[in-house]
Amino acid sequence: MNEARRVARQALVLGTLALVIAALAHLPLIKRFVRGEFRESFFQASEYPGVRLITLEEAEDLWRTGTAIFFDARQSALYDAGHVPGARSVPVPPSRPVIPAEVMEIARDRTLVVYCEGGNCQVSLALAHRLTGEGFRDVRVFSGGWEAWTAAGLPEEKTERKGTEEKGRGQE
Amino acid sequence: MVRNRTVLLVFRIILGALFVYAGVVKTLDPLDFAQSVRNYALVGQSLSFVAAIVLPWLEILAGAFLIAGIFKRGAALIISGLLIFFIVLTVVTMVRGLDVDCGCFGAISRKAGLGVILEDLAMLYLGFCLLFSPPNRPGSRANKP
Repeated sequence: MNEARRVARQALVLGTLALVIAALAHLPLIKRFVRGEFRESFFQASEYPGVRLITLEEAEDLWRTGTAIFFDARQSALYDAGHVPGARSVPVPPSRPVIPAEVMEIARDRTLVVYCEGGNCQVSLALAHRLTGEGFRDVRVFSGGWEAWTAAGLPEEKTERKGTEEKGRGQE
Repeated sequence: MVRNRTVLLVFRIILGALFVYAGVVKTLDPLDFAQSVRNYALVGQSLSFVAAIVLPWLEILAGAFLIAGIFKRGAALIISGLLIFFIVLTVVTMVRGLDVDCGCFGAISRKAGLGVILEDLAMLYLGFCLLFSPPNRPGSRANKP
């Protein structure tokens, strides 16, 4: 019993030490967080020079005029259940997006709009970051995402998958 | 359970080094790690930030103390506890169908899945061997041949 207490006490000391060192080592970062930075995401705007956030109205306008290519960064099942008509699915793990080969063939000066579920979702920003890294110069993140799109009653499209076969149908 | 002191020493060095490495790569880019924590969609923005700030230092200290042989069973307790938490977290993530990066080893992290669970289980075995090894004290029975 004494041995168990001794081990628990050692763990407690280590935990407290870690807390103190972490607070001291990251003091500037903690101050920035307390000031209100990183409330939406942990990405820093300065790291994304080519990315800009757009509103629902801007996204709708770009979609209606067909001037932008839309990318759905959510997982395939969510995309299949409903997405912005014409949007391409790029389901990527949040931290390490892999850009499909067909996307790499798009001209680098095309306007790209990336969205995910909305609210606190981060994958669209991660994908946008990767796209700018691949040389795309006009990448816009529709931060309201799918939630805002459906809440506004805008058209949806669903995809039915049978094996590798894929079929899209508009629901406007 | 392994009782050979040389084998236990090797276990301490392997497990300690892995944790020091995992902690150091996370402290190099705390915001990236905070994002990894956030991606699990279990805790909010503030808790993700706190976890990303404290957890790497806990890993570094526990790993370093384990290698140095100071508070080694306390360090083994922390490491085992963390590994159990990581395993549960990965299982929950898989059950929820989330496709997230594990965030475990910085740039060489991979998808949170079965491979990560198996690695964690292997490390947990080392952790348990160290945690439940006989105390190394002068005069204790374990020190006698």
